[in-house]
Amino acid sequence: MTPSLAVMALVVLFPVLYAVYTSFQAYTRRQHEGFAGLANYQEVLGDSYFWDALWFTAVFTVTSVGAEFVIGLGFALIMNQGFRGRGVTRASILIPWVIPTVVAAQMWAFMFNVTPGFINSLFGLGDFNWLGQSGWATFAVVFADVWKTAPFAALLLLAGLQTIPAELYESARVDGAGPLQRFWHVTLPLLRPAILVALLFRTVEALRVYDLPQVMTGGAFGTESLSMAVRRYIVETPDPGLGSALSTLTFLIVLGVGVVFVSMIGKSVISEGSEER
Amino acid sequence: MSVLTTKASRSAHGSRTRGERRSTLLRSGLLGIVLLWCLAPFVWLITTSLKQGDRALNSPDLLQGPFGLQNYIAVFQQDFGLNLRNTLAIASITTLLCTGVAALAAYALAKLPLRRKTLLLGGVLAASLFPPVALVPPLYEMWRTAGLLNTWEGLYISYLSFSLPLAIFILTTFFSAIPSELVEAAKTDGASAFQAFWRIVLPLAAPGVFSSAIITFVTAANEFLLASTFAPRNPEVAQTVPVAIASFTGAIEFQRPIGTITAASVVVTVPMIVLALVFQRRIVAGLTAGAVKG
Repeated sequence: MTPSLAVMALVVLFPVLYAVYTSFQAYTRRQHEGFAGLANYQEVLGDSYFWDALWFTAVFTVTSVGAEFVIGLGFALIMNQGFRGRGVTRASILIPWVIPTVVAAQMWAFMFNVTPGFINSLFGLGDFNWLGQSGWATFAVVFADVWKTAPFAALLLLAGLQTIPAELYESARVDGAGPLQRFWHVTLPLLRPAILVALLFRTVEALRVYDLPQVMTGGAFGTESLSMAVRRYIVETPDPGLGSALSTLTFLIVLGVGVVFVSMIGKSVISEGSEER
Repeated sequence: MSVLTTKASRSAHGSRTRGERRSTLLRSGLLGIVLLWCLAPFVWLITTSLKQGDRALNSPDLLQGPFGLQNYIAVFQQDFGLNLRNTLAIASITTLLCTGVAALAAYALAKLPLRRKTLLLGGVLAASLFPPVALVPPLYEMWRTAGLLNTWEGLYISYLSFSLPLAIFILTTFFSAIPSELVEAAKTDGASAFQAFWRIVLPLAAPGVFSSAIITFVTAANEFLLASTFAPRNPEVAQTVPVAIASFTGAIEFQRPIGTITAASVVVTVPMIVLALVFQRRIVAGLTAGAVKG
């Protein structure tokens, strides 16, 4: 089984190491010029381009993961009730997930558009230009993302909800807890591991966002994400050194956020285990 | 909270109170909202793709005709069939390679006496958090040197990198659920580690293998960042469907051809939806296998 472990090591380690190595090299028009020290990092960190991308990525991550979580939890709570047609609902909730992100992005770009302006005509907004001004462009991108991924968050949370034994709700009811109290004192604490996993997956995914803003706005009006900036340095301004420095920074940000979440998940699993035993 | 966790009540017969019955109506209403939220944009996509002529396409009215299949015909006159072929081939090869390698790795993690298993599985989970964009600089330079830009290989080899971690993670949780006694019994009967894997573990974990394969396929077929970087043009060679849909241009410059784009979108989305509906249970099981155990 050593070969498969070797493949994993290669997959995990090699690209990072190579990117880190490249980020310390100097290039001119893709020609390697030798060691650059921290020059690439200095240039990236001194460029407003990087900070704008970081700001958009942060705003996108916080707002879209927040909204997805609230809507997804709502969906999951509805679907967790026993009712007819639950299978159909679960199946249709998968549809936004399987729609290619590029298709979802095109679809929402057209619907937010001024002509034909489906959303504007639906809500009587006239010529309101969603995608053509900063702020609202971000809102449109976040909205499309929430549409696509809230169902996915709902599925993960539903899986968590179904592990909560019904007796707990019964006994809480006997103790005189209302629906809100039952939600706060039974559902939320027991759902904690599932919530953390869902938030981890979604946060990391949001930090790496590329397709949606790329297709919907092309990065205009302050909607360029870190991933879009990296690709721009690599393909359009061919400087592998700068691109690698930027991608290493992106990697460190994602890694940092990931480590925080994973340690929280680890803790919640450990503390739960000690309570039970 | 410890009061709540004691099993005070044994009266849970699942019988519904009057209040619950009354709220069934409310529940169906909420359910309707869920369905509307998930499906309404898709209805817009389909009706728009069936519209014909500039006036119909530029009208926000869903029912503004005339309707017809002209957009679909136009889509296939634009080499879209070749894009579909590339995507199908690349996603299938990725799925086969990824499932094969991941199954072996997951078997090693779940059933073989390895040291530091938790650390290894943790490493795999960490690798699934890896931003694909960090792969772009090293791979772009390597593929350029090796001549793999604009090839199927250039795409499916890089797809392996980001699909393996999740597949290994899902499969390990499925394999762990299989009783180790079965593997031990096979080994005492003289089977090698690989035979035990091939004859016992794999058949028993078939549903898990299947769901991980579907998730890999869907992810690979929808991938855009690497596809648009490594094979941006030329449907004859390796341009995939998402890249094609993102780059459709109209007859007139700056005019995005809403009819063709929506028609192409329907063409690629319908098979995905059929896949999702048919294998709904397995996809959900695969997606949640890791999460529930948290």
